[in-house]
Amino acid sequence: MTATTQRPAPPRWTGERRGAIGVVLLVAMVWSISGLDVTLDRLLGAPSDAWAILRQMIPPAFARVAARGAVGKVFESVYIAWIGTVIGALLSLPLAFMAAHNVAPIWIRVPIRQLFNAIRAVPELILAVILIPITGLGPWAGTLAIGIHSIGTLGKWATESIESIDSGPIEAVESTGGRWVSSMRWAVFPQVMSTISSYWLFRFEINVRASAVLGMIGAGGVGSELVSHLVFRDFPAASAVLALTVGVVLTIDTVSAAVRRRIITGGVGGDDSSRSAEALSDLTGINHR
Amino acid sequence: MTPTPGQSTRPERPRLRARTVGIAAALMAFSVFAAREVGFDPSTFWEVWSNPLWEKFWPIPWDWVFDSGNVLQPFVETFQIATISTILGCGLALPVSFAMSSLTTPNRPTYLVSRAVMNVVRAVPDLFWAKLMVTAIGIGAFAGAWALTIFSLAVMVKLFSETVDGADPGPLEAARAAGGRHAPSLRTGILPTVFPDYVAHALYVFELNVRASVVLGLVGAGGIGRVLEAQRQFFRFDRVLGMLVIIFVVVWVIEQVSVSLRKRLI
Amino acid sequence: MIRLEDVSVTYPGGVEALRGIDLTIGDGEFVVIVGLSGAGKSTLLRVLNGLVPATSGSVVVDGTEVVGASAATLRQVRSRIGMIFQTFNLVNRTSVLNNVLMGRLSVVPAWRSTLGLWPAEDREAAMAALERVGIVDKAYVRASNLSGGQQQRVGIARALAQEPGLMLADEPVAALDPVTSRQVMGDLQKINRELGITTLVNLHFLDLAKEYGRRLIGLRDGEMIFDGDIADVDDDTFRDIYGRSITDEDLLAMGDSPTDGSEGG
Repeated sequence: MTATTQRPAPPRWTGERRGAIGVVLLVAMVWSISGLDVTLDRLLGAPSDAWAILRQMIPPAFARVAARGAVGKVFESVYIAWIGTVIGALLSLPLAFMAAHNVAPIWIRVPIRQLFNAIRAVPELILAVILIPITGLGPWAGTLAIGIHSIGTLGKWATESIESIDSGPIEAVESTGGRWVSSMRWAVFPQVMSTISSYWLFRFEINVRASAVLGMIGAGGVGSELVSHLVFRDFPAASAVLALTVGVVLTIDTVSAAVRRRIITGGVGGDDSSRSAEALSDLTGINHR
Repeated sequence: MTPTPGQSTRPERPRLRARTVGIAAALMAFSVFAAREVGFDPSTFWEVWSNPLWEKFWPIPWDWVFDSGNVLQPFVETFQIATISTILGCGLALPVSFAMSSLTTPNRPTYLVSRAVMNVVRAVPDLFWAKLMVTAIGIGAFAGAWALTIFSLAVMVKLFSETVDGADPGPLEAARAAGGRHAPSLRTGILPTVFPDYVAHALYVFELNVRASVVLGLVGAGGIGRVLEAQRQFFRFDRVLGMLVIIFVVVWVIEQVSVSLRKRLI
Repeated sequence: MIRLEDVSVTYPGGVEALRGIDLTIGDGEFVVIVGLSGAGKSTLLRVLNGLVPATSGSVVVDGTEVVGASAATLRQVRSRIGMIFQTFNLVNRTSVLNNVLMGRLSVVPAWRSTLGLWPAEDREAAMAALERVGIVDKAYVRASNLSGGQQQRVGIARALAQEPGLMLADEPVAALDPVTSRQVMGDLQKINRELGITTLVNLHFLDLAKEYGRRLIGLRDGEMIFDGDIADVDDDTFRDIYGRSITDEDLLAMGDSPTDGSEGG
C-alpha cells in the first residue's frame, strides 16, 4: 500500500455554490410571492377558509347530484374522451408513418413533424375555446378539441416508436421487390402496433381528465356540473361530483394500465417509462414535451 | 414430429379466437354508441373550415399586444405563479417521492398512505383544483399558485418516484450498514445520485407551469390566461390570436432553454 | 467477540440460506469464509449486522443480541461494524471524502448529516482513514473516476472511519484483477494486525484464502462444513465444501488472467 501523505486542499466552490443556490431560490420565492397580492391575513386566513369549505363538503350529496343527471354527465366525459382518442389515433397513425425518418423522405416528414408540434402546442382548452363559437356549445366541441390535440401527441409518440424499430425486416421486404406500402404493412406495422396501441390507451386515460376539464367551459361533460355547484357554493354537491369523477378516472386508469401491460408483454414489448416524462405532463391535457 | 419421406403433417391453420373477435366487436359498438352520444357530426368539419367567424381573428392588433400593460404585466404574473408553484410543489415532492418508493420508504404505512393519497390527487383533473382554489380563496394569482402547486406536486412525484425506484440501492445499503438513521442515509446514500434528475424534472415542471397558467386564467386564476379569457368574452378574437402567438413564442423559448439546461445535467 | 447459536435464515421465497449455524469468533481474529455461490456466505455476514434478519437462533455481537433487536439497537451495533461490499457501494456522483464520511453517520447528529454539515472532527477522522489506505490525495475526486482497486480502498476507508471493532468483507476482491486483489487483501490483513480489528472475509478463490487467512470456514448449502486452520485444508476438505474436486477456476492465480497489468496506486 503506497502511502501518500499530502492532504489536498478542499475545492473552493462546494460550500459557496450551495449557498449561492439557496440565495437564488430565496430571492425567486420572495419575488414570486410579491406578485401574488398575498397579504398576511390572506395567507393566514387561507387554511381556515379552506378547512371551512372542506367541512362543508362532507358528506357528499350523492343522491341529489345523481338526480340532476351528474352520472350521465360523467359518462358523457368518458364518451368524449373515447371518441376524441379514436379520432386522434386514426388520423395520427398514417401521418406518423409519413413523419418517421427511417420511412419517409425529408420533404414529407419535415412539414408533418412541424404540424404535430404546432398542434401539440395548443392546449385542448384553447382549442375548445376557439371551436365553441363555431360548433356551438356541447360535447362535440370538446370531442373535436381533444381529437385534434391528440393527433399531435399520438403522432409524435407513434413517430418515435416507428423510428426505433429494427430496420432488418424493411430491408427484407425491399429485397423481395415489395413496394413502400407493403414494407409498412409487413415490416413496420407488426413491430410497432403493440407499443402504439398502448400509447393510445394511455392517451385515453389522460383525455378522460381533459374532457372533465373541458366541461368547465361548456364543451360537454361533468365539468359544467362542478362549476355550477361551486358557483352556487353548494359544496356537498361539488364534492359528490368530484368523488364521482375521481372514481371513474381511477377505475379507467387501473383497467387501462392492466390492459396496457397485457398488450406490452404479449407483443413485441415497449418501454413506456421513457414516455412518462412526456406523457405524464399531459395530466393537464395541455402540456407536453 | 419428423416427417417420413414423402409425407408431412401440416399444422392446422390457427383460427381467430372468438374472444378477440368479441372484444373487437364490443369496442366498435361502444364507439358507435359514444359517437352518437357526443353528437358526432362530420359535416361540421367543413363548416368549421368555412365559418365566417374566422375573419374576426384577423388582422392581429400588434400595437395593442405590445402595449406593456396588456400582455407583459400578466406574463410577469404568470412567471411568478409558475416559480412559486414549482418551488413549493417540487420541494414537497422530494419527501413524498421517497415515501412512495419501496427502496426509500421509512415504513409500510407511510408507503401505502402516500401512494393512495397521490393516486387520488392525480386523479383529480388539474383545472378542477384551480376552480376549487378560486372558490375557496377568491379569484386571482394566489389561487392559481395554490392550484399549480398541487399540480406540480402530482407531476413531480410521478416523475421523480420513478427515478428513485430505478436508483442503485448499493450506497443506501452501505449507509444503513454504517448505522445511519433514515434521513441521513437517504441524504448520503441516494440523494447525490438522483439529484441531477431531480433538478431536470423540476425544470420541466416549471415549463409545464408556464403553459398551464395560460389555461388557469380561463377559470380566473390569474396570469396571462385571465387576459385571454377577458378578450375572448369580448369577442376580440384578433387580440386573442395575437396573445396566442406571443404565448407560443415565449413557451418555445423557455422550452429550448429548459432542454439545453437539462442536457447539461444528465 | 461474536457468537452464533443455532442460527437459521429462511428468505421470504422459501430459500433456506443458513441452517443451524454455531460459531464463535474471538477478538482480533482473521477469518476467511469460502463456499459456492448461494452457500450462504453473504447471508452469514449480513445476519451479524442485522441487514438480514435471522429466522431463528441467537446472534450476539460484543454482548448485544442482534436477533429481534430494536432499530435503535441495530444502528448502534452497526456503528461498530464496518462492511465492505463486492460492488463497493460507493456514491458514484460525489467525492471520495463524502463517501468516507458516510462511515460517520452513526455518530453525527441526524440533522447535521442530512444537511451535509459534517463537524470538523468527523472530517478529520475521514481524512485519517483515507491516509491509512493511502489515497488521501484523491479525497475530492469524484468516486466514479477511480479505478476498481481504488474504489474498494475508499470502501475500506469508509468502514475504517467508523472506528469499528469488527470488519465484514463480502467478496471484496471479486470484481478486481489478481494484482489489485492482493493489494486489497494485504490492506485488510494489515488493518487486522495493526488495529486489532476482527475481520471476516468472504472469498471465492482458495489460493487467496490460503495466502491471507488463518482460520477458514467452509459453507455448503447453508451449513458449516469446515471450521479450522487453513493449513489443515486439503483436497478432501475442499470436496466437502465445494462438492467437487478443485479446478483452475477456484484459484486466483490460474483461473483468472490478469487483465491490464497492475492496477491501483
